[in-house]
This record gives sequence, C-alpha cells and structure tokens, in this order.
Amino acid sequence: MGHRVPHVTHYLTEHFADDGYTTLSGFRARGGYETARRVLVEQSPDDVIGTLKRAGLKGRGGAGFDAGTKWSFMPRDGAGPSYLVCNADESEPGSFKDRVLMERGPHQLIEGILIPAFATGAATTFLYIRGEYAEPARILQRAIDDATAAGVLGSNVLGTGFAHQIVLVRGAGAYICGEETGLLESLEGKKGQPRRKPPFPAERGAFGRPTTVNNVETFCHVPHIFARGVDWFRSIGTEESPGTTLFGVSGHVERPGLYELPLGTRLDEIIFEHAGGVRAGRKLKAAIPGGVSMPVLPAGHLDVPMANEFLREHGSSLGTGGVIVMDETTCMVRVGCVISEFFRDESCGQCTQCREGTGWMHKLLLRIERGSGTEADLDVLEDVAGKMEGATICAFADAAAWPVQALLRHFRSEFQGHVHAQKCPLPESFEI
Amino acid sequence: MSAPGKLRDLMLRITIDGTRYEVEEGLTLLQALDELGVLMKGVDIPHYCWHPKLSVDGSCRMCQVEVEGIPKLQIACDTPVREGMVVHTRNERVLKARAGVMELMLVNHPLDCPICDQAGECKLQDYAFEYGQMHTRTREPRRALKKRVDLGATIVFDQERCILCRRCVRFCREIPGTSELAITQRGDRSTVETFPGKPLENDYSMNVADICPVGALTTRDFRFKVRVWFLEEVPGICTGCSRGCNVHVGVADDQVRRYTPRRNDDVNDTWLCDSGRMTYQEIGAPDRIREAALRGDSGELIGATIDQAIDRAARLVREAVEKEGPGVVAALASGHATNEDLAALRGLLAALGSETHGLPIVTGAGDALLVRPEKAANAEGARAAGFGEPGLLLDKIRGGGVRVLIVLGHDIIHEQFLGSPEPLAALDAVILLDTHRSRLEQVADVVIPARHLAEKGGTVTNFEGRIQAVPAALEPAFEAVAEAHVLARIASALDLSIDDGSEHEREAD
Ligand SMILES: Cc1cc2nc3c(=O)[nH]c(=O)nc-3n(C[C@H](O)[C@H](O)[C@H](O)COP(=O)(O)O)c2cc1C
Ligand code: SF4
Ligand code: SF4
Ligand code: SF4
Ligand code: FES
Repeated sequence: MGHRVPHVTHYLTEHFADDGYTTLSGFRARGGYETARRVLVEQSPDDVIGTLKRAGLKGRGGAGFDAGTKWSFMPRDGAGPSYLVCNADESEPGSFKDRVLMERGPHQLIEGILIPAFATGAATTFLYIRGEYAEPARILQRAIDDATAAGVLGSNVLGTGFAHQIVLVRGAGAYICGEETGLLESLEGKKGQPRRKPPFPAERGAFGRPTTVNNVETFCHVPHIFARGVDWFRSIGTEESPGTTLFGVSGHVERPGLYELPLGTRLDEIIFEHAGGVRAGRKLKAAIPGGVSMPVLPAGHLDVPMANEFLREHGSSLGTGGVIVMDETTCMVRVGCVISEFFRDESCGQCTQCREGTGWMHKLLLRIERGSGTEADLDVLEDVAGKMEGATICAFADAAAWPVQALLRHFRSEFQGHVHAQKCPLPESFEI
Repeated sequence: MSAPGKLRDLMLRITIDGTRYEVEEGLTLLQALDELGVLMKGVDIPHYCWHPKLSVDGSCRMCQVEVEGIPKLQIACDTPVREGMVVHTRNERVLKARAGVMELMLVNHPLDCPICDQAGECKLQDYAFEYGQMHTRTREPRRALKKRVDLGATIVFDQERCILCRRCVRFCREIPGTSELAITQRGDRSTVETFPGKPLENDYSMNVADICPVGALTTRDFRFKVRVWFLEEVPGICTGCSRGCNVHVGVADDQVRRYTPRRNDDVNDTWLCDSGRMTYQEIGAPDRIREAALRGDSGELIGATIDQAIDRAARLVREAVEKEGPGVVAALASGHATNEDLAALRGLLAALGSETHGLPIVTGAGDALLVRPEKAANAEGARAAGFGEPGLLLDKIRGGGVRVLIVLGHDIIHEQFLGSPEPLAALDAVILLDTHRSRLEQVADVVIPARHLAEKGGTVTNFEGRIQAVPAALEPAFEAVAEAHVLARIASALDLSIDDGSEHEREAD
C-alpha cells in the first residue's frame, strides 16, 4: 500500500504518566521549552514555516489541512495585531484526545503555541475551551499563570524579546463553536454561528484581524518536529499523513481508551491489538473511524490504514480519530437516531437545509426505528441527506448527512428489516 | 455617468443564461442584477434572506446558481461578479437545488395560506408553486409554536410561519440601529425574539412587516383587514414630512387601507417611518371637511355647495379690491398643497396684483435616517413657488393692512405661529381651503373642502428639490376639490386668467 509504519513511537504522550509532568518545573526537567527558545533565537519566521511545510503536519481538528500552509496565509506586514486561536472545543461525540492533551501536558501545548505564534507574528493566542471542560481549563490556567510568572509567556518570551500572551476563554456549550468561524463569533461574545467564507480567518478572523485557528493536538506536535527534525517526523506515519495521532477508542471494546499510534495504523489493528478486541468475545459489526460525523465502516472494511488518503477510498475520513466500535448487538437504525439527534440539537439553524434537514432526518429515523416506517421513507431519508450536502455555510450539514448516508449504504437491509417487521429486530440493543 | 475627478467605475461583462450584461465591479451577482433592473424581471433568482438594503446573510440558500468553472453551486447573493463570468440560473441542476431548498423550507411551515395575511404577496407561496412539490412528503408532525406573539406595539409575530431569513433581525440592527430582535435557540427550535422587557420599539418598526418574505410579521394596523388581492396599489407620496417618501397607496372599497414603501433609492430606499406610514389614516379620517360652508347672517357656518362657496369667495375678493385696492387681499400658502395648487395661488395673487403672502411650515423632530424636521411634503415646492416666512404678512394683518385672506391649510394656527385663530378674527373675510377641520373655521367666512394628495395627485418637491409626481389614488367619499381648481374658478369668476401649473408636471420625475 506504499505507506510506512515504523516502530511505534509515542512522543505526545511519552511523559503523561510521569509524576510532576504537568508542572512547569517537571516539564522543564524534561527539556521543556528548550526547543521553543532555540527556534525563537535561531530561526526566522520564514524558516519556521518552511520547516513546518516540509514536515507536512496535517491539522488534527478534523479537516486535515496542512498546518504549515495555513500559517503561511497569515499576512506578516506588521500592520496591526493578528491572532492565533487554539481550538479546544472538542465536542464531537467519540472524541476525547484534546482533553487528555490539556490535562496531562499543558506546557507541551503552550510550547506548541509559542512556535507558530512567533512564525505568524501573533501577539495573542485565544485558547477557546469548551465550557464543560472545567478541570482542563483549571489546569491550563495554572500552566498559563506559571508560564507567565516565569517569563515563558509575556513581554519577553524565554528571554528572546518576543512577546506573547495566551488568553483562556471558556465556551458556552455548543458543538458548533468548534467550527472555526462559529468559534470566532463566540469568542467575540456573539451567538456561536459560522460565518460565510470568504473572507477566511487569515484575512479577517477574531475581532476583524488576521487569525489562524488550529486544534489542540496540532499545536502539540510542533515542538517535537523542531526538536527531532523533519526527517524523523516524516519517518512516522504515512507519506501524506506523517506523525502519530491520538486514537480515542470507545464503544464495545475490551480496553477503551486513548492510543497514540502512527497515522496509517490499520483500524482493525487499533481495535483488536490495542483496544483488546470486541467485548465479551462478540462479533464486530461496524466502526466509526473519527467521531460521529465520519461515515461508518462495516466489519468487512476495517483493514483500512487510518489516514485520510486511505479512508477516503472507503468513503470515510479520519476526522478527530475518535474510533467508535459497535458489536453485533447494535441496532444501526438506533445508531442513526442517536447521531441524528445530536446533529438536530446542535445545528446552529442558519441554513435552511441544515436546520430543517437535521430535524427531518431525526424524525424519519425515529419513526423507522419504531416500526412505522415505509420503504419510501428510506428513499426520502437518503434524498434529504443528499439535499443537505455541499450547499451550506459550514461543513456541519455535510457532517450531519454523511453518517446517515453511510448507514443506509452499508446497512440498508437492516433498515428494511425494521420496515418489514414493523419493529426493531434488536430491541435490547441500547436505549434511545 | 462620470463624476468630475473620478474615474468611471470599472465595468465587467458577464453572461447570464446566454444574455450578456455589463455590470459594475465590486457588486455581487444579485446586486448587479438589481442595479440592472432585471432581478425577478427577466432574470429570476429566488431569494429570501437577501434584501437590497441589508447586509448579506447567505443563509436561506435559495439563490443558488451555477457559475461555470466552479464545481459547487454558488449563492448569487454572496458571489462577486467577475469579468467573463458565465452564470446559469435555470438549468436542471439549479432548479433541482432550488426545489430541494424549497421542500426543506416547507417541512415545518404551517401552510396556513388560506388564513394568512401574506397570501397573495408571499414569496414562499410564489416559489413553492414554482419550484416545490406541492404535495408534501413529510408525514412528521410540524413544529408547533406560538401563533401570536406581540413583538411590540406595532408588530405581531407568528412563530410557525417564520422561515428564519433574519431580514427583520438585520433590519433592526442595521437601519434604525436599535437591535431589538434576535434569533434565539438553535436548529429547528430557532425563533425570533425580543429581549425580555425590551420590545420592538423604534420609529421604523413597521418596516419589518414589509420585508418579511412570509406572513410571519404583520402590522397590528393592517392585520386581517383586507386580503391583499382586493387592494389596488397606486403610487403615492407620504405627506408626513418634506422627505416625500414614496409609498404604495393601498385602496380597497374606496378607502385607503395602508401605505407601504415604494422603493426609491434616491429618496427613501425601501423604508417608511412609522408615523409617516400611519398618515394614510388622515385620508379617511372623521375630521375631514366634508362640505363647503358659508358664514351666515347669524354668524354661524352654514352648509353650502362648492359652487356657492366659490361664488361667495370671488365676491368677497372683488368687494375688497374694489373698495381698498388689490393690496388688501393676501394669501397663506401651504406646504401640504401641490405645486399645481401653489402655482394657481401664485397666479391668482399676481393677476390681482397683490404681493402679500406667507408660508407657515410646522417643524418638529427629524432623524438621521428619513424623517425631516419640516412636517409638510411640499415645503420646498412652496418656497420654490416664491412663498416665504409668514412674519411680514402677520405683521400686516396685525396692522390692519389686510382685509381678505385666502388660506390653504391651517398650519397658521399651530402654536409655532399664531397659536389660535384669534388674530384673524378682525379681517373682513377669511377664505379657507382645507382638508381637515380645525379651529380656523371659527374665523372663516368661506370653507371649501380640499382634496388630499392621494385624492388629486400632482407634484410635490421634496427637501432636496426633487420634484415627484403621483396620480390620484382614489376619489374622495364626498365632494371635494383640488385647491388649484378652486383658485382657478375664483380667478375666472373675477375675469382673471392664471397659469394652471401644468409646467411642473412636465418637469417631474
Ligand atoms: C461542525 C464542526 C465542528 C468542529 N468542531 C471542532 C472542534 O471541536 N475542535 C477542533 O479542533 N476543530 C473542530 N472543527 C474543525 C475546525 O473548523 C477547524 O477546521 C480546526 O479547528 C482547524 O484546526 P486544524 O487545522 O489544526 O485541524 C469543527 C468543524 C466543524 C465543521
Ligand atoms: S451548515 Fe448548519 S451549522 Fe453550519 S452554518 Fe449552516 S445551519 Fe449552521
Ligand atoms: S419573521 Fe419574517 S423577516 Fe423575520 S426572520 Fe422570520 S421570516 Fe424572516
Ligand atoms: S420620513 Fe417623512 S415622508 Fe418618509 S414616511 Fe416618514 S413622515 Fe413620511
Ligand atoms: S438569498 Fe442568497 S442565500 Fe438567501
């Protein structure tokens, strides 16, 4: 398949079990902030961006956009402030990696922010964290305070003369505030709902200024790339998707949890080797590779390497790397009900197709699940999902449509079973 | 048009459905079509959230078109025009996308057109017929919301009918700048609301009913009064102030039922102030002067025919001129009269040889948007006809130099001028041509019912000197005559010939 999976490396989480790693002194004792200091002293912003581009780090927030390329979009004419935003909204069901990165490695994140902040000339990073993450917010705030007191942040970062502050902003609780322009609206104190693009944030972002938004994990990779080099980084993962990522495995597995593995690790390997296989010796039915907005894959398709270039061929995507595993007892129509309910609740409501389509899909799915659906309803469901795709202000509507389309694609006979039996064949599956 | 010192705006060539257009750079597709005057008049791109005078929202997704070279359909309201752009607005792909949006738009719509006030002027109804499947595929219950929410004193809101285009929200934020409305909740629970304790309350609030593309917002004033298809809409001018906002005069059963804004980008865009809009009520008001009257020997006003009133007026003028010369006849012009009326007044005075006249214009508050301080539609036209401040005339009256006064309107007794009719009581005769009853009748010897602008048509000149012509929208329910007509007849009874003011009509735009 042309991808390389070298010996397992786990640099992001290497010290997460160490005592004291969350403290500034513990972090420094392991060489923390040395990379940032070196980069800030020795390199120019252009060098940094060049290195990042060569490293090929792909954003870990879901869309997989090349981080170095994104940073290169920022104007560096020095005319007024520009901002970085660290997207810590992590609201996608099935995703819990950013939480661990913030709780266990707050200084790794701060170091990861400092390097692109320097490269883009941003004087402030807004760290937007979902409101429910009270504990990570507390840990991060302490890390920011300690770093500021120690001169790691502030007017003279690590003695280099570069000035940078990190402002922690707690969200008010909506999935759509994770979409980068919805986040910016919320950050500005408005109702979180995505903006039309263009203008893109690099042109007009937070408070009308050039802004780059990246995911927590994306930042966390950066110091490691500069510490050990581009060649090292590219030796991990696949050609197109270098590095590791945190796979959050949940659902019907023996050992749910977070696994840092190279991109390109096969999905079945993650499930059976790392997560201990399906619970209680049951048979695997399906898995969602990257959070609920990513299309489900049926059991026969799980030998796919977990990187976008391979998942794409299977009509899915890596998303946030949140792997949700379902065994043979799972009713896939109920899965559709749960997922569509989430999207119905979370649509910001601006776009007609998304606002009305999410609600309609949910009602249709509920009715089918309860045994009062018809064969025609399945076509309507498919048609509604099709109408929501590719025609809205943000990608939420696609994210709401894809899982339903994939369920129908792979499990249509199970939907038909509900229609013909006029009830759910797996009533014990799980409560909805 | 090239303004001095400014380069001609760059023009781009675009092709829409095979027709070439030249459009200005920097516009969106919808703006460009709107400027060309072909939007929905040749090039039909249905749109709900876009409004020519509000910011782009891009949320209804109804205006999708195909732009060659761009794989996804684009929304015309947010797509800038580019040189050489080729656009398709009615190929199969576009029509299918529209039908798709339409179907989703109707999923939760109550479809209560038979009892909806918007029926007949509803964009949802129009587009649904054109693009929608009229049979609905939803078996799911529609969302049940409140059918009657008072957003403020003027506007009633039907939550179920709202399609969440946010025009009303953007209007309040961007035009009066008062921001009373907001969309609360998310997804299909979204609804328009006011903040607790802060109702929709601004001088332009009723415009939200005009711009609401469906029947969700209605004015308390017009709600349920007339089905719009029984309304005849005639172009008119608001008489509330010297802006001269363009209106549609909505007439049914020989009564004016409402004013709605008539778009004029040079005067009022697409807006009206609330108080101006409500001036339509003056037309059918109970205090209209409905009958001519003459002061009888007993000192009481006694009903008369208009012919009798004109004869009496002419006789009073003739007697005064014969006795004391033309200088003792004077006139008070009015900013409520048309240019034609004022020309006739001017002509009569000139023919008589009198130079004594004045123009009382009542002033009040103005604002930065539309409302002008001068509370008369034709104040500027009256000045242009040569009428000015009434001070000298009033001095002359007080000094006894005036015997007969012809008065148009009753602004003179407003507290900004005389405050009462008292100072005019000493005159030999007051000839009053007016639309509405007032205390001025107490001193009038002849009262002649005049027509409202909507009943006579004509031209008025707004504060910027813009001459605007409107036709008569309806016949008054009683006998009334245009001032120009009365004045011409008085002149002819005096064997004088005067200019009939037709010149103004030719200049009007
Ligand atoms: C509906 C929706 C929700 C999103 N939620 C998140 C989120 O919670 N966290 C995140 O990092 N990115 C989220 N994204 C992706 C962001 O818009 C953005 O692409 C990302 O933060 C960019 O970071 P990256 O380039 O480092 O991946 C979401 C996108 C959509 C469409
Ligand atoms: S697609 Fe959905 S979530 Fe995104 S802006 Fe439109 S309505 Fe809001
Ligand atoms: S009330 Fe009317 S104008 Fe306001 S959002 Fe709803 S449909 Fe649009
Ligand atoms: S601004 Fe003046 S002319 Fe316009 S609607 Fe108001 S009162 Fe009438
Ligand atoms: S008119 Fe263009 S999206 Fe609504």
